[in-house]
Amino acid sequence: VISDLLRQHLLSVLVFLPALGAVGISLVRREDERLQKLFGLGISGVVFLLSLLLVLEFQPVAAMQFEERCDWFPSYGISYHVGIDGISYWLVILTTFLTPLALLGSWESIHDRVREFNVFMLLLEAGMLGVFVSLDLFLFYVFWEAMLIPMYFLIGIWGHERRIYAALKFFLYTMAGSALMLVAFLVVYKVAGLNSFDIPRLVASARFDPALQMWLFGACALAFAVKVPMWPFHTWLPDAHVEAPTAGSVILAGVLLKMGSYGFLRLAIPLFPEAAVRFAPWIGLLAVVGIVYGALVSLVQPDMKKLVAYSSVSHLGFVMLGIAAFTPMALVGSVYQMLNHGISTGALFFMVGMLYDRRHTRAIAEFGGIKNVMPWFAALFLLVGLSSIAVPGFNGFIGEFLILMGSWSFSPALAAVAVLGVILSAAYILWMLQRVLYGEVTHQENAHLKDLSLREAAILVPLVALALFMGVASPLFTRSIEPSVQALMRQVQSRVPHPAAPVRPAPATAQVTP
Amino acid sequence: VSLDLRPAVPALIVALAGLLALLSQAFTPRGRRAPAAGLALVGLAAALVAVALLASSPDRGRSASLGGALAADEFALFGQALVLLVGILTVLLSPSYLRACGLERGEYYALVLFSLVGMMGLVSAREMIALFVALEIMSVALYALAGMRREQVESQESAVKYFVTGAFSSAFLLYGIALLYGATGSTSLARIAVALSGAAPGTRTLALLGTGLVLVGFGFKVASVPFHMWAPDVYEGAPTSVTAFMAAGVKVAAFGGLLRVLSEAVPALGSSWRPVLAILAVVSMVGGNLGALAQGNVKRMLAYSSIAHAGYLLTALVALPRAAAEAVLFYLVAYAAVNLGGFGALAALARDGKEPLSLGDLSGLARRRPALAAALTVFLISLTGVPVSGGFVGKFYLFWAAVGAGYAALAVVGVLMSVVSAYYYLRVVVFMYMREPVGEDTWSAVAPGAGFALAVSVAVVLFLGIYPAPVLALARLAAGSLH
Repeated sequence: VISDLLRQHLLSVLVFLPALGAVGISLVRREDERLQKLFGLGISGVVFLLSLLLVLEFQPVAAMQFEERCDWFPSYGISYHVGIDGISYWLVILTTFLTPLALLGSWESIHDRVREFNVFMLLLEAGMLGVFVSLDLFLFYVFWEAMLIPMYFLIGIWGHERRIYAALKFFLYTMAGSALMLVAFLVVYKVAGLNSFDIPRLVASARFDPALQMWLFGACALAFAVKVPMWPFHTWLPDAHVEAPTAGSVILAGVLLKMGSYGFLRLAIPLFPEAAVRFAPWIGLLAVVGIVYGALVSLVQPDMKKLVAYSSVSHLGFVMLGIAAFTPMALVGSVYQMLNHGISTGALFFMVGMLYDRRHTRAIAEFGGIKNVMPWFAALFLLVGLSSIAVPGFNGFIGEFLILMGSWSFSPALAAVAVLGVILSAAYILWMLQRVLYGEVTHQENAHLKDLSLREAAILVPLVALALFMGVASPLFTRSIEPSVQALMRQVQSRVPHPAAPVRPAPATAQVTP
Repeated sequence: VSLDLRPAVPALIVALAGLLALLSQAFTPRGRRAPAAGLALVGLAAALVAVALLASSPDRGRSASLGGALAADEFALFGQALVLLVGILTVLLSPSYLRACGLERGEYYALVLFSLVGMMGLVSAREMIALFVALEIMSVALYALAGMRREQVESQESAVKYFVTGAFSSAFLLYGIALLYGATGSTSLARIAVALSGAAPGTRTLALLGTGLVLVGFGFKVASVPFHMWAPDVYEGAPTSVTAFMAAGVKVAAFGGLLRVLSEAVPALGSSWRPVLAILAVVSMVGGNLGALAQGNVKRMLAYSSIAHAGYLLTALVALPRAAAEAVLFYLVAYAAVNLGGFGALAALARDGKEPLSLGDLSGLARRRPALAAALTVFLISLTGVPVSGGFVGKFYLFWAAVGAGYAALAVVGVLMSVVSAYYYLRVVVFMYMREPVGEDTWSAVAPGAGFALAVSVAVVLFLGIYPAPVLALARLAAGSLH
């Protein structure tokens, strides 16, 4: 009976267990820091294990699965409606996977207000999972906004020197971006006339006048573009990522940034397909500008954390290029690349954090020859770097390859320029690795650094293993992404008879993935 | 003429409790404290029971007393219950604050109760003269309350300013009532409405003038720009527990009265007052939020924020009569809880006549009073309108009503101004959580009564944010009884 009940309400359990856990931790005595940490790690670990049940039961079909639905305030057409399809499925797993790692990663670096830290991390997890599983506009917005608060505190309390500025900037930027989205939702509700905020229902039967669509799409796109972040809405990102504590940076890069691109796929494109098609060339252009700009700025960063932060702008540019291209291959590549970026950039932030814990600096110039004193660290750093560069055999290769292949039919010029980003990413990552890891030990302080502890290895090894596994066994993942992507394509094509970019039948992605 | 007094019973109970609180002072031996707070609580609880009984009586809504001047419909009962709850929380918050400021005088509670009588009348009046009298009862008691800290210049200034502008606004209101009477020959809301539907152009013009003046009168009371000038000084100077009461209670009562006048007396003139309210809404949202940005004093900041919130509320009034009334009522519940809580949290820290006023005073509060800081954070988040809080759901419905009536532009201004407000609300959070405490801990520990009131406010705010359906259903029922 219990297993049946769990199965029927699995998504709700995943969302609300962390929230309950947060309440539980706040009841632990303030002095009992060890218990608070164990509690936080335990809850997020259980959530991860439960989320693996999804892996066992998820079917590679287009339909929504694990759906739950009940009225929330019925007279206003607002319901508690959750479910996942191939687009959100792996993002949910990514979230439940990264959260316990982030908590483990801050085991020894957070000493102040440990209880509050764990509370906010768990609330953040609940909010993120809520965004990915929501199938009701109101519910989506609630989680979308509610998530800002724990992140705001994580940056503002446990961040570095300019944390207050970064936290406020993060909050205001994101809120400013999404404010108009709320009005757009209200207009959708009114114009659709279905007395419903239900996303699948609106997607299936709401039709909006093309001119109005441009406004509505624009309002939503602004919210999502800030979150992605797309150039030129990215300026909050370097501040937030650099000032956040390691766990915050990992979650920000690993999960929060995916919400923007996810929002395009879940809401903006299916609800307003005509507008999406008309905006697509511009989104593609901004994406490619972001790819090149992010890479060039990364290249000149003297600060490792900043370098990784700007590299996110570049990587997310690929994701957005794939979405703008809107071919099956590019879309599968985009969803896949979201996961890859979560894993490889998450790992990079962890590793920069580990160096910071040892030396309290992130300046590249302060390091050199680290390989001689921390060989295991160096080996893993190299592997993570290669994954981020998208070397064949690693996860990043599959994602970027699919995106570039799939974007060719959309715009050869944009795809060609985007390839430049791949080369530049090799340049900035390898150059950083070279300066940090290789050569002689240039600073005396570095001569006796400890290599990875068991705890640190326990964080990094799963990430690296996954990066390799996703590089060689990609069909295991893309198989469940594809049907939903195809369904999204069909749905948009049925609404837009003459899309700006002709969508050709592409070869099944399974054939091009190794 | 019906002399059925049942609809007036809750207000009569409160008035009686007020008299007893006043008398208890006289009969208490020197050196002992009068049981005024206890009397007030008992009276308010009894009045709440009376409201509940009226709400469950079979002829609910049909009975009216004093020749139809006072209604006991769902709207009136909702409003009365709300101001009574505001009263109860105020009384719970007050003792520790009054002790800290040396203001322990029995007449404090008597004045709070008398003001409540006025508020209860304001949400129930279906006749202009009764409405005016209720407004005056409410206001006169508040003038005295605002000046309770006689030794403080700010408190005196607050009382005088409030009195002068209040008298000024009453004159507007009264003149407006007179013009409406001149145009329609009646002071009953229902008869004014009947007379105005299909009235001659000349009559309409006169009535329009009257409505305009009535709006000015209410504009002062709800502190909408450009009638807001008094609010920052009065909020700042008044004793903080009074500010809490004023911010929550007056807003509820005045918006209740305004809702009733607009929907019961002058709906026929809607095409004329709608644009006016839309303009008032925009300038209040913009003015209040920009004003709040510049404030270093927390009480003043919250005063400007109350101006901004009057603007949010007005956006929904523009959308009357559709879903707007229930959105306004729901928002008022959330707003009342948040303001009582916000000012109450400041009051709870008062010691030796001093209370935290500047942002710096709150520096590092999360380390010294974690629970209080968390509560204040919940209130500020709700004021910003971020989920999961009553403020978010409330704003959602206000803008929902505006968009539904075709005023999407108002909603756009509203959400953009909410982003601006995030800056100054979060600045308080920055000081509490992200800065270290400065100097000695000079603030008081939170007294049990105040702590209970704050906990209730937090619970209400979160409950409204997570499961608003029951309160929404009540608000809808109440809004439905407006004719």
